[in-house]
Amino acid sequence: MAYVATRGGERAIEQSQRLFKAEMGEITPERVAEIRAAMPYLIDRVMGEASLYDEDLAALALAQTGGELYEAVLLLRAWRTTQPRIAVAEPVTQEGLFTHRRISAAFKDIPGGQVLGPTMDYAHRILATEVLDGQVHRPDPVEPAARPSPARQPSVAAWQAENGLLTGAVPDKTVGNDIPDVTREPLLFPAKRAHTLQSLARAETGGVLALGYAAQRGYGQAHPTVNELRLAEAEIVVTHPRGTQFSAGRVKVSQAEVVDKKGDGLRLGFAATLGWNEVKVIAAATLDLNAEGAPKGAPTEEEFFLYHTEGVESSGFCIHFKLPHYVTFQSSLDAMRDAKAQKAAKEKSPEPAE
Amino acid sequence: MRLQPVPSDFEARCNATFDAVMWALARPGVMRDLPQAGLAQVVEALIDRECAVHCPDEALAMLARRTGAELVAPEAADHVFAETVTPEMPDRLACGSDLHPEDGATLVAGAVFGAGQRVCLTGPGVDGEVIVIIGGLPGDFWQRRARAMRYPMGFEMLLVDGARLIGVPRSTVVEVL
Amino acid sequence: MTLQTLTKPWEPMSYGFLDGSAKREIRRKMIKAIAVPGCQMPYASREVPMARGWGTGGLQVSLTLVNPAMRVKVIDQGADDSVNAASIRRFIARVAGTPTTMDTLEADLIQSRHRIPEEVLREDQVLVLQVPNPEPLRPVQPNMSIARQMHADADYGRMWLQLYEQIVRSGRVMQGASYPSLVHGRHVMTPSPIPRWDVPKLHMAKHLTILSAGREKRIFAVPPFTRVEPLVFSDVPYKVEDHAGLTCHRSGTRGFFMNEIPQDDGSSVFEVSDSEWGVKAIRRRDGEEVALGETWYKNGKMPS
Repeated sequence: MAYVATRGGERAIEQSQRLFKAEMGEITPERVAEIRAAMPYLIDRVMGEASLYDEDLAALALAQTGGELYEAVLLLRAWRTTQPRIAVAEPVTQEGLFTHRRISAAFKDIPGGQVLGPTMDYAHRILATEVLDGQVHRPDPVEPAARPSPARQPSVAAWQAENGLLTGAVPDKTVGNDIPDVTREPLLFPAKRAHTLQSLARAETGGVLALGYAAQRGYGQAHPTVNELRLAEAEIVVTHPRGTQFSAGRVKVSQAEVVDKKGDGLRLGFAATLGWNEVKVIAAATLDLNAEGAPKGAPTEEEFFLYHTEGVESSGFCIHFKLPHYVTFQSSLDAMRDAKAQKAAKEKSPEPAE
Repeated sequence: MRLQPVPSDFEARCNATFDAVMWALARPGVMRDLPQAGLAQVVEALIDRECAVHCPDEALAMLARRTGAELVAPEAADHVFAETVTPEMPDRLACGSDLHPEDGATLVAGAVFGAGQRVCLTGPGVDGEVIVIIGGLPGDFWQRRARAMRYPMGFEMLLVDGARLIGVPRSTVVEVL
Repeated sequence: MTLQTLTKPWEPMSYGFLDGSAKREIRRKMIKAIAVPGCQMPYASREVPMARGWGTGGLQVSLTLVNPAMRVKVIDQGADDSVNAASIRRFIARVAGTPTTMDTLEADLIQSRHRIPEEVLREDQVLVLQVPNPEPLRPVQPNMSIARQMHADADYGRMWLQLYEQIVRSGRVMQGASYPSLVHGRHVMTPSPIPRWDVPKLHMAKHLTILSAGREKRIFAVPPFTRVEPLVFSDVPYKVEDHAGLTCHRSGTRGFFMNEIPQDDGSSVFEVSDSEWGVKAIRRRDGEEVALGETWYKNGKMPS
């Protein structure tokens, strides 16, 4: 056992971790609380990609990883692995969502109205540099509307289906434990509808954007119109073993419907995720819209985009190339040298000299 | 600060049961010891709410149900637990497909070792051939099994006699002597 | 039913990190993997506290199998002291309380990335190989669904064609590690990126090999006494790396797979890749009493 101590691996690992942590200093409850309060959209993004809704844990993960997003998501997913499943919530419906923002690009106005809600869309993106000069940037107070917009509204697609413009989705009667869960069973193709939507919901935002954008630019067959984009809160209703239903709380959700206008009816693409993340759901809905009939190997093909937007898998594989690969390298070198030697031997030899 | 992790009794039993199951299938025909007698421990080690189970025996069915598994007909089951194998069972078990051989069922059944038919096993996990004497199965069971399966489609068998276990995976060719 | 029947006593962490349902799923899939040697079985593959691509597949199998009496050895590229091997070993010991070892002879379970130890494994030992890419057909078919259909049809024509093209172009098969091999005469499997030197060690071996790809969510196995035949043409024999004549500059051991260490003067020296074999050779040379196991290769040759 004397050899164990003289081998360097363990010590090197320990010190490298200390170096990483040294830069961030102490992680305090106050720091975690401040991250949670100051960066709701970052928290939302991390919770969505982790498929774990807990703002405190997400803030802690960000604090612990110094904002290394891939690491933060991995930390939360690994923690999620250790948690038992206590119950399956009732389905959340679009018309049941407590809606903060709901807009449609397809119509000038929609039943229930265009509700702008919280957004940066029309802001001038100017840095508030005065803060760095010591001033406090204080947001102007919100002035409540005289008449609040309705909290619950049907989807635009529902109106289109009623008017024969769109074939509405066939309701899926699967309930509770029978709903396929991509975190508990492997993703196979053609993918179950639930697996597709779950995978998109926990996909990495940047990856979904890259492939969705490729489709939007013309590498897809369909051109999306944002039928409806919604930021809302969903009630999580669970059933007690005694049979009583109760709300376990609300979670923030985003969802997007995009439609394609080719042919004799509208076709619908859909995506939703935990937290408020508009870019992700629009890009994901675009991919969903384009998936049907996409050729094998195209970025809009389901297998292609679901595999390649999985952030924990893709980032992990990317950084795994840092691991030593000298055995495989040696094996290839051997084949290469042998082929070269054979070639040289052939060139030198047996043809009789002129 | 952290104490040495220690498995609970349940965890330790499931671990030991699976160890026996794994080696039984890796070495078909070689007898393994289970932590205790009976099929219940195999239910505990393998079955939960993600499984569809067929179980003719009342007590075992109750146990399977408690894990959250769905109780179904043999054709729809991914696991079948039977104290006694019935003659038509080989024809009713799921064998999976060429595309998804993993959909073939696992049959865990009671049997008698050392009395009954002499059978010769060959295939992966068998060093040459192994001869075992297994009773408690219907007379033409092995012929029916062979007819029902086309490799890589098929089902796995874990035969239990008291606290002893013999595994016969689909890759094993069984010849009745 | 009451809430009580659904709950268990509180534990800060499940024994072996994975919870019961994760372990049961892996057990069910391992049964199928052993029953159909070389066939890739899909599994859910939970996230573990390590990045994907860093041995999460092997780790999930190890965590499912371990118990406090099981001695665990972890190697990466043949070395026990490689940083990632050390990290995995430390994690398993921490969450499962298992004793660890570096000696192949003492180990009950060996988790390895890219090597099979040089000492012959026994029939009570389990080798868990980490697999980055479980699909041997990927170079000829990157789409997983089509590749799966090809396995279903035993349609390996393009695989053979690729090998043939390499022979025509380069005079030999250029596949380095991960040499595609036919298992039990039915399924073509990647043996994981082990060198060609190690593939014959899987053929009709006494030990059980479980191969697991965490990121790609596939598990497959080679049971003991199972045929594992590298794909070769009858007139172009299988060739392992030309390491039989190399000598380890540290331990003096000879006839095993070596790491090449480039030198300042343009030359190379070699050190044995199975680090613990090298350590044991040095200790024996220094007069210590050390048990050396039988090796697969004898005088640089694998007896057929």
